[in-house]
This record gives sequence, structure tokens and C-alpha cells, in this order.
Amino acid sequence: MSALLPIALITFKEGTRNRSFYGISLLALLLMGASFFISGMVIRDVGKVAVDMALSTVSFAGLLLVLFVGIDLMAKDLDKRTIYMVLARPISRQQYIVGKFLGISLLVVGTVFLLSIFGAISISAIKWANPDYFPRFSWGLVFLAEAFIAVSLILLSAMSFLFASVSSTSFLTLILTIMSYIIGHSLSSVKALVEAPQAAGITVSPLTVKLVQAAYFLFPNLSLFDIKMQAAHGLSLPMTYIIWTLCYGIVYICLVILFAALLFRKKEFP
Amino acid sequence: MNIINYSGVTKRYNSWPRGNKVLALDGFSLQIEQGEVFGFLGPNGAGKSTALKILLNFVYPSAGTVSLMGRSVSDRRARSLVGYLPENPYFYDYLTAKEILWFGGKASGLHTNEIQDRTEMLLDKMGLKVSSERPLRTYSKGMVQRAGIALALVHDPEVVVLDEPMSGLDPIGRKLVGDLIRELKTQGKTVFFSSHILTDVERFCDRAGIIVGGKLRLVGNMADLLSGEGTLENVFMREVKTAVGGGSR
Repeated sequence: MSALLPIALITFKEGTRNRSFYGISLLALLLMGASFFISGMVIRDVGKVAVDMALSTVSFAGLLLVLFVGIDLMAKDLDKRTIYMVLARPISRQQYIVGKFLGISLLVVGTVFLLSIFGAISISAIKWANPDYFPRFSWGLVFLAEAFIAVSLILLSAMSFLFASVSSTSFLTLILTIMSYIIGHSLSSVKALVEAPQAAGITVSPLTVKLVQAAYFLFPNLSLFDIKMQAAHGLSLPMTYIIWTLCYGIVYICLVILFAALLFRKKEFP
Repeated sequence: MNIINYSGVTKRYNSWPRGNKVLALDGFSLQIEQGEVFGFLGPNGAGKSTALKILLNFVYPSAGTVSLMGRSVSDRRARSLVGYLPENPYFYDYLTAKEILWFGGKASGLHTNEIQDRTEMLLDKMGLKVSSERPLRTYSKGMVQRAGIALALVHDPEVVVLDEPMSGLDPIGRKLVGDLIRELKTQGKTVFFSSHILTDVERFCDRAGIIVGGKLRLVGNMADLLSGEGTLENVFMREVKTAVGGGSR
């Protein structure tokens, strides 16, 4: 444990000082500001638009952070060999992976927290200007949606670690992570479609059904963490759904990092 | 007591996807004793860096064993008292020299007070005190090299492994590092360094070894090495010519 903290802290510090981090934060702030003006142009459902805009901004900025800061932090270590500075210490490759992952997770949580504050300010301002359009609004649901966004982004980071452990270039890691994101968000809909193709009036081969079912179990189901619509409409979620989704996320993250650490054991740094 | 021990080490790199293998080390054996300053010489691509990287467990040997202070190099504890400077070091762009030294100290198990004292002392010695709060990306090549040396020494290691420590340094920097190697020797530390600058090896080392084509061609005390040919340059050229010509010793 004593080796993990220094790695996590330097990763977090390096991440927060990265120029891309400031760019992403500025973009998020601009989008939050824009939502105030956009809500002024909407005739109905101002509350839903405000919540959806705030949560989408947090989610989008977090995704950019994982793809362009998180992957870069790992890639630089491997491409420019800054990893020597870490592995020359009494630190194993597995400890390096876990420490680095903790640092990036801390960065994701910190960023989502910061953006959530800006989101709350944006929603509060719109709510203050249009109090009649927030009949079923719930701060609890908004914060829960933001917590789910943080978990899904940490899960995506874990996937990027897994890909970085096996791929030879950071570009390949980036592509595979983007693919995981897209698959993770669309797979449950695709699975529902191929399992009941008659509803859509199409035919699907049994092989395709098996492939989609296999992919469903291999890739993380990120759509589970997307509760923006429920938060925007003020629809409550069953406690069992919340607990099971969080458990799914945590278990998936632990398994992926464990697997990444096992693969990283074999990696050489010539 | 042998503090570093390579025994019959062979290293082959796979050149994927072509599949041909590059033989970087071929039956390499070397023992370095405690308190020795050992110079490791060889032309480019001879296998010097590979040998050092195997010692630090960055790459794994294809055959043979390597131990450091009696422990196999695959045991992370073997690196607790080792300081390492890579060739052309590169550190985190946005961290300061103080911060990387904090990391080096913490990761090696030092207490905060110790880290502060050693950091102050080393940054002063390396001429980096004024720029210690600046991000490393604003450093010149020589400054990065000196920061790397400070990082290698922050935990007061028993064994110091330096891969081309003089690379990128101006004459002042080279003198600084030379004095440091001498100081480490007087403290009884073991220094294992690779270099292309033969006069530095002549000046600082107790023993030297010449590696060509992954094979250790010659090892000996500095006095013995110089007794026949006069200069290390002559010895080095002879060994390289013999190796390239297919000769063996």
C-alpha cells in the first residue's frame, strides 16, 4: 500500500497540470453557460433540458478526460519510458498498474465533482429563473446520475489500462477504449433487438445472436450507468437497481484491473 | 562480496511481426564487488543498456540468472537500495524536481523529514536549487540529466547504476558528476556505469569491462587493462576489431 500512494499522487498531480485538463474544464464551463441561454429558447420542459444539458456536459467532459488525459498519462510512461523512474524503485509492475489506476480514478472523481458543482450552479440558476418548470425535480437523482457517470468513467479507464497492457501503441489503446465506450453504451439495445428481431421486422442469424450475447458478457454494459433521462424527468429508481449497478461496476473494475495487472507482469521495457 | 552477479545471461528480443530474433546478450557473466566503481564499455548496440535493464528488471533474461545484493532481480526488494539513472532520462513534464525526488524518496520508504533533507542537499549539489520549483519540461537536457542523478541518489542507495551519466552534460556538469562518483566511492558505494567517454572510465573506475556483440570480451582492473596498450582507447579499439573480425579470447 505504501508504494501505491506515491504513484497515485504523482499521477493525479501530473493529470491536473496537463493543459488538456484545463481545456476540457473550460469547454465544460462554456457548455454549462450555454445551457442557461439554451433553456431560455426552449418553450416547454425547461427543467428537463437544464438537467439533461448539465449531466451530458459532465459525462462528455469526463469522457474527454479519460480518453485524452487518462490514456496520455499511461501512454507517456510507456512511450517515453518515464516508467523507469517508477520501476527502478522497489515497486512491482502490478503495484504500478494499481497505483496509476488509483491516481487516474482520483482525477476522474475530482473532475466529476468539480463539474457537478458547476452543473448544480447552472441548474440552480435556470431553476431560479423558471421555477414553474421543475415540478418533479430531485437533487438526489442528479447527484446519483453524476456518481454513476463517475463509476462508468472509472470503468472505462480500467478498460484503457487493460488495452495498454497488451497493445504496443497508445493510439491502439485509444481506439480500443473508444470502441469499448460505443459498444458498452449500445450493446444492451443491440442484444434486445437481435433476441427479438420479429419486433423490428428483421431476421437475424443464430450466429449473430450468439456473437452479440458473447459480446454482452465480455464488454461492460455502460448503459446501466446512464440515468440522465430518469434524472431529467424526476423518475425515481429502485434501490435494488442502484445497489446492483454499483456492485456490477465495482466488481467489473476490480476484475479488469486484476487482469491488466496480470498481463502487465509479462511486459518488458527495452 | 559480489553485490551484482550476472551468470550466463542471454537475451533475445523478438522482432514482431517479422519473427526474427535479435541477440542482445550472449552468455553474459559478470560479478561486481561491493565498493567497486565499474565502468561498462562497448560500441552502440553492444548490449550495455540491455544488461543494465535486466539488472533493474525492466526486461527479463531469456536464459541465465541475475542477482543484486544476494536477491534475484525479479524480487522487487532487490531494488530498495539501488539508484538508477536511465540513458536520456525523461520525467513527468508538469512535475517539479522537488516532486520527483519526493516520489523517489517515498517509493523507497523514506520519511518526509529525510526526503526534505536529502532533496535540499542533492538539489544544491546538482546546481538545481534555484529551479527546483519549476516544471521539468522547462529544464534543459543537462538539467534533466542532473535531476535524474539526484533522483537516483535521493534514498542514499548502496548500489548506483548509471547509464551514460555524462550524456548531454556540459564540462561543468561532467565535473560535477565525476566528483560525485568519486564521493560515492569514498562512501563505500558500488557504482556501475556505462559510458562512451573512455577517459572518464580511466579516471574514475577500479575495474572496467568491454562488451561487443552481446559478449563480454574483457574485464579487468584498470591498471592491468592499461599495462599493455597504454590507453583505454587502444584496448577498446583492439577488442572491437577482434570481435568484428570474428576473433575470440
